[in-house]
Amino acid sequence: MLAYTLKRLLAGVITVWFIATATFIAMHMVPGDPLMNDKAVSAEIRKNLEQKYGLDKPVTEQYFIYLGNMLRGDFGISFTQQNRRVNDIIRDHFPVSATLGLLAIFFAATGGVLWGALTAIYRNRMPDIIIMFLVILGISVPSFVFAALGQLMLVNINSMLGYSLIPVAGWGTFAHMLMPSLVLGLGTMAFLTRLMRSSMLEVVNADYIKTARAKGLSPVRIFFRHQLRNAILPVITVLGPSIAAITTGGFVVELVFAIPGLGRYFVQAVQQLDYTVIMGTTVFYGAFLVFMVIIVDILYGFVDPRVRLE
Amino acid sequence: MSDHILEVENLSVEFSTYGGNVKAVRGVSFNVNRGQTLAIVGESGCGKSVTVQAIMGIIPMPPGRITGGSAKLNGHELLGLSSKEANKFRGIQIGMIFQDPMTSLNPTMTIGDQIAETLMVHRGKSHSQALKQAVDLLEKTHIPEARKRVKQYPFEFSGGMLQRAMIAQSLACKPSILIADEPTTALDVTIQAQILELMAELQRTENMSIILITHDLAVVARMADEVAVMYAGQIVETGSVDDIFYESSHPYTLGLKSAMPSNTGSREKKLTPINGSPPDLFSPPQGCGYFTRCPYAMRLCDKKQPINFVVRGKQNHRSRCWLQHGDAPEVAAIHQNNSGQSRAD
Repeated sequence: MLAYTLKRLLAGVITVWFIATATFIAMHMVPGDPLMNDKAVSAEIRKNLEQKYGLDKPVTEQYFIYLGNMLRGDFGISFTQQNRRVNDIIRDHFPVSATLGLLAIFFAATGGVLWGALTAIYRNRMPDIIIMFLVILGISVPSFVFAALGQLMLVNINSMLGYSLIPVAGWGTFAHMLMPSLVLGLGTMAFLTRLMRSSMLEVVNADYIKTARAKGLSPVRIFFRHQLRNAILPVITVLGPSIAAITTGGFVVELVFAIPGLGRYFVQAVQQLDYTVIMGTTVFYGAFLVFMVIIVDILYGFVDPRVRLE
Repeated sequence: MSDHILEVENLSVEFSTYGGNVKAVRGVSFNVNRGQTLAIVGESGCGKSVTVQAIMGIIPMPPGRITGGSAKLNGHELLGLSSKEANKFRGIQIGMIFQDPMTSLNPTMTIGDQIAETLMVHRGKSHSQALKQAVDLLEKTHIPEARKRVKQYPFEFSGGMLQRAMIAQSLACKPSILIADEPTTALDVTIQAQILELMAELQRTENMSIILITHDLAVVARMADEVAVMYAGQIVETGSVDDIFYESSHPYTLGLKSAMPSNTGSREKKLTPINGSPPDLFSPPQGCGYFTRCPYAMRLCDKKQPINFVVRGKQNHRSRCWLQHGDAPEVAAIHQNNSGQSRAD
């Protein structure tokens, strides 16, 4: 198990390095540089600035300087925001995005497992048909549509009550988090529901379920002890990629709900070619995702004993 | 108390499918004697497994449906029970093992936990007590290092060991009857022999009855006291193992026997297959199901279901064949003692 974890961590580090390098190359292939955005400066000032930020050095040298700084945990200073270090931007705004994302994952996973199990139990009967219809809707409608609809619903509820039960936008309290994370998790929830349903139906016909029935176990016990645990395996497998889908989807939802997350800075930085912020946020997000996938893989080992030994 | 532990009477099972109703089991009756082994033998799809699964109440319903009959365990009716009532005998009085041990155990639970589960649910044992007993059970089925083995998962066991673990699990509550649904079909021949030996041994020590389902006549010859030959959802011949092997009275039984390889015959002797295929059970034939394949078929056989004749005055040896009727012509292969044919072992 330890060797397995270490191997995964090493692979993770290599992945993050690859992300950093690819981002660096892609960023420098875009025409222009961060200094071009500002009003025309004289050649001399521009030269001084380039020197100050090290932009006059060859790209390969810049790359190694950058890698060196990153290893020390320093992502540099933003080109476009006054006196702001990239580390500060991440520290201030990432927790917001992470809370939103993790809550969304929580909704998606519990909802997916629950609805999936329910549809499998009521296979081809009314609850199954209704839920599966909603699932198709959840998969095919983009999250910003749900975000707007969700806000509209909140507005109606609040105006009906006469006071603000759940805030329509903004950030701060738990009530603020509910609607955006629900909206953010909806697509993944729908996807996981479908996966869980088919997985449950496969397990129902498994030989070991027949054995469990021949052992004289109650249907409830068979469901929880024998069916659910085996059916949940594929759901855990896709949880890693789902986290990626949710965090990237988070940019849009953050915008609609006016949430001060990292997403906005991420998009802004790309538009302004703010080298340090692009690198910082991309590498940080990449590392976060890789880390989450590793966590999921390790978690998988706990649920499925067959993975543990390998 | 009768010496029959299980009495099955006129059991019928249907499955509704898109193609119509499949009459998988059509009026099956048999008895299982206390402490003895009944082998149910027949080709694939003849309804052997469905019969015992119906008795256990583990046929998926729908699409399955028990359309008639009764199955009495020590006089208590088993059919049509709610799952709660059925769980008072499933796993307690009747144990069951299946064809493929590789897929018959839960891959995410340790062997010990799976055996212990039965004891915890039915006997109210604590987890540690039950686990301790699981070790004893594994030892009883000759699994080496049982103490270590209880903590392992099915994927760490070989096929033969898994079937031993399955047997250990089914014996946990000391059932009076063990149903083995083709227990050795998925195993190789040496392991097969070991498992059969183990079952025979446990039958003696635990004094239980066994229903052994198989399509392997060699296994029947080795294990059975009584034999029921099934064909197209019906039992066509029943009798003691000697009756079936030496005094076969149904053409299908004869056909099975001559299709069986023997290691005593000469090399040149070819196997004789049974030509044709079993009838369509969506619409079972009006007459005998074996009519189209039977070398001795008469006109009557196509028209009317044969009744269950007593063979040669032996009450326990029955044959569902018109040739047993007093007016039927003599057929040498059936009406003379056919012990000239060798037994499997």
